[in-house]
Amino acid sequence: MAIRPQTDALRGSLDLLVLKTLSLAPMHGWGISQRVQQISDGVLEVNQGSLYPALQRLEKDGLITSDWGTTDNNRRARYYRITASGRKALGSELESWRRFAAGLEAVLRTS
Amino acid sequence: MSWLDAARSRARLFLSRRASESRTDEEFRFHLDMETDRLVRDAGLSRDAARRRALAAFGGVQNHRETMREGRGLAWLTGMSLDLKLGGRMLVKYPGLTLIGGLAMAFGIWFGAVTFQMFGMITTTKLPLPGGERIVRVEVWDSKALHEEDRTLYDYQLWRSARSLTDLGAYRDAGANLVGADGGAKPEKAAEITASAFRIAPARPLLGRVLDESDERAGAAPVVLLGHDVWTNRFDRDPRIVGRSVQIGNAFATVVGVMPEGYAFPISHELWLPLRTDVPGLEPLQGGAITVFGRLAPGMTFERAQAEFAALGKRLAAEYPATHAQLQPHVLPYTQMSVNDTDMKAMMGLTYFFVVALMVIVCSTVALLLFARAATRETEILVRSALGASRRRIVAQLFAEALVLAGVATVVGLAAAQLTLTIWGKPYLEMAWGAQLPFWIDFTLSPTAIGYALALAVIGAVVAGVMPARKITRGLGTRLRAGTAGGGVSFGGVWTAVIVTQVALTVTFPAVVMLVRGESKRVASYDAGFPTQEYLGVTLGVDDGQDETLTPETRAALDTRIRTALEALRARLEAEPGVAGVTFVDGLPGGDGHKARRAEVVSLPAIRPRWVAIASADPSYFDVLNAPPLSGRTFSRADLAPNIRVVVVDQGFVDLVMGGRNPVGHRVRLVTGQAVDSNAASLPTYEIVGVVKELGMANAAMPQREAGVYLPAAPGSQGSLEMIVRARADPLSIAPRVRELAMVIDPAIRVEQITRLDQVTTPLLWLLGLWTKIIIGLTVVALVLSLAGIYAVLSYTVARRTREIGVRVALGASARRVITSVFKRPLTQVALGVIAGIVLIIVAATVAGKTTQFEGTGMGVMTLRDVALLVGYAILMVGVCTLACVVPTLRVLRVQPTEALRAE
Repeated sequence: MAIRPQTDALRGSLDLLVLKTLSLAPMHGWGISQRVQQISDGVLEVNQGSLYPALQRLEKDGLITSDWGTTDNNRRARYYRITASGRKALGSELESWRRFAAGLEAVLRTS
Repeated sequence: MSWLDAARSRARLFLSRRASESRTDEEFRFHLDMETDRLVRDAGLSRDAARRRALAAFGGVQNHRETMREGRGLAWLTGMSLDLKLGGRMLVKYPGLTLIGGLAMAFGIWFGAVTFQMFGMITTTKLPLPGGERIVRVEVWDSKALHEEDRTLYDYQLWRSARSLTDLGAYRDAGANLVGADGGAKPEKAAEITASAFRIAPARPLLGRVLDESDERAGAAPVVLLGHDVWTNRFDRDPRIVGRSVQIGNAFATVVGVMPEGYAFPISHELWLPLRTDVPGLEPLQGGAITVFGRLAPGMTFERAQAEFAALGKRLAAEYPATHAQLQPHVLPYTQMSVNDTDMKAMMGLTYFFVVALMVIVCSTVALLLFARAATRETEILVRSALGASRRRIVAQLFAEALVLAGVATVVGLAAAQLTLTIWGKPYLEMAWGAQLPFWIDFTLSPTAIGYALALAVIGAVVAGVMPARKITRGLGTRLRAGTAGGGVSFGGVWTAVIVTQVALTVTFPAVVMLVRGESKRVASYDAGFPTQEYLGVTLGVDDGQDETLTPETRAALDTRIRTALEALRARLEAEPGVAGVTFVDGLPGGDGHKARRAEVVSLPAIRPRWVAIASADPSYFDVLNAPPLSGRTFSRADLAPNIRVVVVDQGFVDLVMGGRNPVGHRVRLVTGQAVDSNAASLPTYEIVGVVKELGMANAAMPQREAGVYLPAAPGSQGSLEMIVRARADPLSIAPRVRELAMVIDPAIRVEQITRLDQVTTPLLWLLGLWTKIIIGLTVVALVLSLAGIYAVLSYTVARRTREIGVRVALGASARRVITSVFKRPLTQVALGVIAGIVLIIVAATVAGKTTQFEGTGMGVMTLRDVALLVGYAILMVGVCTLACVVPTLRVLRVQPTEALRAE
C-alpha cells in the first residue's frame, strides 16, 4: 500500500503537465516530452515512453483529442490538442494542486 | 459534454484495434527518430550512439505497447482469442471428453431449439404477408359457454361500419367435391371468402383474375378461383382453364383465375368461392359459421380497435340481450388461435424453464468432466498463477475452453434440430392438430430460436466452465506458498449432488419409458368390442346447405336429396359381393368424435348425474357391428319417428351409472353445457329400451371405461357423418369402390377419409412412439453422462491418491482394503442416486394415480412385477456404474510403491 500514492502522484502530475503543455499549443508526443522535460526538471528523464500511455488515457477520458499533421520538416506526426473538458479539468486540477502544494508548504514550514 | 467526448474516443479506440496498433508504432518511431536527431544535433553523438541513447531514454518499447493495449481495454480480447485457440486444442487433445461433453451439450441445445421453434411456430404473430403484423381476426367469445361463437354473420354487417379496421372480410370452410378434367370427383379444401381477402393477402394470379365484389352480389354468376395445386393435379395445368365451367358439389361455376404456387390464404386453402355476406332478413346468430378478418387502419393500435369492437359488442348486447348478452368481440392477431391462450403461455413458460433446467443438469456433468481435467492440470494452473496470472484470468481461460466446446455443440445441436424439424416437425404438428398446417408455419429455424440456442450454449459454458474454474482456483495463493500441487482440490458436495441427480434421472427415465410404452400397448390393444379389422370407417361430407341465401324450401329439398343419396349409397354398397353390411353413426368407435352429455336418470333420482358419451346411430348399427342386445331390444326403423324418444345404453352405462341395476324401462335426461341448465327440467327424457355390450364409446387414448348412450338417427340428419362398412375380405380392398359409388350417386357426397377401424389409433400410436424415442434418447444421454462423471471423478481420485495408495501398499495393505477405500464414495453416490430415483418414481406414480388420465388404472398401486423390474434395473445401474470404475481400479492395482513414491 505504500507505493501506490507515489505512483498516483506521479501519474497525476504527469497528466497535469501534459494538459498544461497542450493548453498553450497543440503538439506532437516528442514535442510534449521535450516541453515536460524542460518544465518538470526531469520527471520523464528515464522513461519518455510512459508519456504515450498517459496521452492515450487522457484522450480516452475526452480531455484531449489527436489528429495526424505535418511537422516543420515535413514529417507526419500525431498532434494532440486539449478539449474544452480538458481545459476545465486543467483548471480544477491546478486549483487542487495549488491547494495541496500550499498545504504541503505550510506543513514543511512549521516543521 | 465530457462523457460524450470520452465515449466517442473510447469507441474509436476500441473499434479501430489494428489502426491503433499501427498508430502506436508510427508514433514511437517518430519519437525515436526525433530524439535521435536531437542527440546527434545537440550532444554531437554518432547516429548509432544517439539511437541507442534514445531507445534507453524511451524505456521498453514492448512494455509501453502492452500498457497502451491494456489501456484500450482490449487486453481481454487478445487474451480471449488466445484462450479460445487453446480451448480448440484441448478439444483435440481430449477426444473422449469432447465427444461425451459435446454430445451432451448438443443434446440440450437440440432439445431447446426444437421446442422453442415448435412453440414459436404455434404462437407466432408474424404472417408472411405485407404488413402481416397488422392483420387481425375478430373472434366473438361466449363468456357463459366458454367457447368461441362463430355464427357472426349478423354482427359482421354492423362491424363493417368500424373505423379501426380496413379491408374487413370473412370466410368459411366449404369442403366441396371438385370434378376434375378426368371426370373424377374429389374433395378439395375450399373457402367461401369475401373479395377483400385478396387485398389483405395480395398476389398476382397466374391466370385470369382474383375474386371481386361483383362476384358476391345477389344473382351474380357463380365463379371459382383455383389454387396452383388443384390446377396442376386436377386440370393438368390447362392454360385455357379460365372461362371454363367446372362442377363443384352439385353446382357449376366458371373458373375466373388460377393463383400462384404456395398461395393458401386464409389457412391452407386451394379453392376460393365468393362469400355472400349481405343477406336480407338475417337474424342474430343465424347463418353458418364464419371467421372475420381485417387490417388495422393506419394509425390504429390493437387496443383502439379492441375498444371500438367492445363498444360495438355492447351495442348488440343492448339490442339483442337474448342472444348477445354474454358475447364479446375480441380483436386478435390473425395467427392467434384463441382469445384464451393463457394455458398455452403457461405451458410455454414451463417448457422453457424445463429446457434451461435440463441444460444446467447436463452441463453440471460436463462441468464435472472439465473439473477433473482441470484438476489434472493443476500444476499448469499453479505455474500460470506464479507467473502472475490473476484468478480472473485463469477462470476466463477455463470458461473459454468450455465456450469452445459449447460452440461446437451448438453447431451440432442446431444442425440436428433443423433436421428433426424437417423430418418429424410437420407430421407431428399435422397429427397434433388433425389438419393441414396453416401457410405461415415455417420449419426453418427462426433467428430467435437460434438466439435461444446460443443463450443456452452460454449458460452451458458458464456452468461447465466457470463453476469448476472457481473451485479449482480457490486458495491458489496458499497452495503456491505451501508449495503443494496435489491434494489441494477435492470433489465437494456440489459434485456429489450432480452425480446423485444424474443417477436418479437415469433411474427415473426408464420408468417413464415403461409408462409410455404401457400406454402404447394399451392403445394398440384397445378393444372396441367387435373385430375392427373387418370394418372400414368412411368419413363423409355432405353439402349441408349452410348458405344463408337458400330458401327453407330449397334447404328441405337438399336434405331430402342427401338422405335419398345416402340410402342409395348404402343399397349399392350392400349389393357389392365383398360387403357384409353398411351402417351410419356420427363418431367412429375408439375415436374422439363422441359428444358428451350429463345423464340424469329421472326415474332414479338417487343416482348421481354423470358425463356419458353420446352417439347417434342408424337403426342397423348394432346388427352390422354384430352386437345383439344383452337385455331389452335395439333400434328399429320405427324409432326414427320424431315423437319417439328412446335410447340404447351400453354395459359401461349399466356399471358406471346404474351401479349394476337393469336400466331397461328407466328414463334418462341428457343435459348439455358446463353447469346444469336452469331449464334442464324442460328437456325431454328418453326411455332406455335396451343394453348392448361396450362398442368403443371410450376414446382409445383414455384408459377409463366410458358409459355410452345411443340415440336413433337417420343418416345425414346429424352434423358429422361416418359410414361403417363391414367387409367379407380385406376392407381396404373395397375403398376404391366406395369412392367410385359415392361420386356416381351424388357429387354432393364427399368421401373425405377412409380408415380401417383398427387403424383409428395409428396417429396416436405414432405420437406415443415418438415420445418413447425422445425419452430413450434422454435416458441414454443421462446414462452416458453419469458413467462419464463417475469415471472422471474416480480416475481423478486415483491419480491424486497414487502416492497415498503406494504408501499403503508398501505398508502391507491388501488390495481389497485399498479398493474399498477408493470405491466407497462412488458406490455411495450411485446408491444414493438409485434410491432418490426410486423415491421419485414412487412419488410420481402416486401423484399420477390421482390424476384423471391414470385414474383407476392402478398407476398409484405398484404391482409386484413393477417393483421387481425397478429393483432389477437398480441392480443393473449399480453394475453398469461399477463398470465405469474398472479402468481406474486396474490403475490402482498396478500402483507400484516405489514408483508411486517417486511420482512427486
